[in-house]
Amino acid sequence: MAAKKLRRAQLSQDLCERLSRCQITTCQDFLCLSLLELMKVTGQSYYEVQKLLCKVSRACAPKMQTAYEMKLRKSVSPSSAFLSTTLHSLDRVLHGGVPCGSLTEITSPPGCGKTQFCIMLSVLATLPLSMGGLDGAVIYIDTESAFSAERLIEIAGNRFPDYFDSDEKVFCMTRSIHLYRELTCCSVLQRIMSLEEEIISKKVKLIIIDSVASVVRKEFDTKLQGNLAERSNFLTRGASVLKYLAEEFSIPV
Amino acid sequence: LPLAPARRARLAAAGFQTAQELLETGPCGLSKEIGISKEEALEALQVVRQECHGDAARTAGGSGATRKFTALELLEEEQAQGFIITFCSALDNILGGGVQLSKITEVCGAPGVGKTQLCMQLAVDVQIPECFGGVAGEAVFIDTEGSFMVDRVVDVAAACVQHCQLVAEAQQEEDHLKALETFSLESILSHIYYFRCRDYIELLAQVYLLPEFLSEHSRVRLVVIDGIAFPFRHDFEDLSLRTRLLNGLAQQLIIVANDHKAAVVLTNQMTTRIGQSQSTLVPALGESWGHAATVRLIFHWDNSQRLATLYKSPSQKEATIPYHITPHGFRDVQPPAVTQNAEGTEMNPRKRPRREEEKQ
Repeated sequence: MAAKKLRRAQLSQDLCERLSRCQITTCQDFLCLSLLELMKVTGQSYYEVQKLLCKVSRACAPKMQTAYEMKLRKSVSPSSAFLSTTLHSLDRVLHGGVPCGSLTEITSPPGCGKTQFCIMLSVLATLPLSMGGLDGAVIYIDTESAFSAERLIEIAGNRFPDYFDSDEKVFCMTRSIHLYRELTCCSVLQRIMSLEEEIISKKVKLIIIDSVASVVRKEFDTKLQGNLAERSNFLTRGASVLKYLAEEFSIPV
Repeated sequence: LPLAPARRARLAAAGFQTAQELLETGPCGLSKEIGISKEEALEALQVVRQECHGDAARTAGGSGATRKFTALELLEEEQAQGFIITFCSALDNILGGGVQLSKITEVCGAPGVGKTQLCMQLAVDVQIPECFGGVAGEAVFIDTEGSFMVDRVVDVAAACVQHCQLVAEAQQEEDHLKALETFSLESILSHIYYFRCRDYIELLAQVYLLPEFLSEHSRVRLVVIDGIAFPFRHDFEDLSLRTRLLNGLAQQLIIVANDHKAAVVLTNQMTTRIGQSQSTLVPALGESWGHAATVRLIFHWDNSQRLATLYKSPSQKEATIPYHITPHGFRDVQPPAVTQNAEGTEMNPRKRPRREEEKQ
């Protein structure tokens, strides 16, 4: 949205040319300047510049929706709002399960079962809707190399023996879980950025990152000066992309 | 120039050619030069000034110039102003009645302490009709973090409607019942205007468009920006640009708050300031941002109790109070003496005294 070219914001041609001579080509550059600078660059009066500002803002501002419309939209498809974890008390506390469209964080001391929980969620996501799953693929970003495919099949077989009775069903499930092993912060970030197209092409319905902390702690030593800022930079950038993906595609992360 | 000819002759004799020179001299200088009294000089200058300003106003298309008020007019205005209640009477008390209109209130706190809950509560409370003590306005909710949950707002709004219904039943007045007809769950939800901004450019654009939006929807009395820190805390190498944009944003919000008599509520994150020997949690976005908000609330934890501290306010003193987040929204902590049906009833504690009187 912000990188929208000014040309497409319905500004006049010669104004666009004038601005591009000062290297202002996107809405982002335009809105970052103060009013006085804009007046100097466009050569127009205060009042005109304010009108231009409104025009450019309209081009990148988000759409309005009332809370009522949001509620109606949600109530139209209630079952797709959560991924049930099949642990009834947990589902009750979470009001239905892991929510679709937002980030959920699981933390614990080592050995409590986070990776096991993630593996189970991946199995659940591949189940058809009739069984409470999401009928879709799963993207699993593994930074600790803790994902074990054998354990995956074991869980699937023992939990849902009637469903996974044939080998073919098991193959189908394992084929739809895409595993990526990333070992550095940069590669994790790159992987997250590239997820958008994969989600659409592979019909992904769940993203799991196991785990964010391990790769960050390995690379950033908080005792060194500049690292704290860099670390939070990396984390917030990753978080905002993930939030965007979660909301855009209505999937749990 | 519409001045008396005699005076004009004197001005010409003294050598004044243009109106600009007149304005530059000032009344005392003018009176000394031409030999007229100070009042006459002031009168002449005012006439000249009006003429010049008339031209300027025509070319600029008229703008809201600075307005002068006497302190008395301001006092009357402030006393007549409404507050948006938060349903937590302790918080309302330390704020002096609730969230004030035409002022910017900033709520800071660690993640999970209840900032978004308060914002959702206020978005519902601003719509309470006037006969129940509210301001009967609409709300604009600008979300940058994606933490707005519609289902939660439904819960909070349902509790609010229930509370008003009980009040109406207890008091049985005409206008209460009439107001209740329009104060329903659907109307509350359809008067919360929600914008989801993904990055700081969308946020800036939206704030530039706010005055226009508020002129169209003139009943809006609350603008909530949930997460003003989030889009500015990452991806910003140029800190001076960030400060400049934040200052511009603050100015815009002050204009919006004043012109449309709306309360502006912002939520901010906390950051760690590493001092000599220890590190403290301070509100994010730096020192200069601290000047933007008029009233600052800091939410924090103390063991397992949530506390709210009034950190900065021009009219109230600093105080800390505990609060609770219940299924019905933002509420007071139940005082231990009145806990007979504390688990059973989910009523607003302010209602409890009245019900007990009725029982007696």
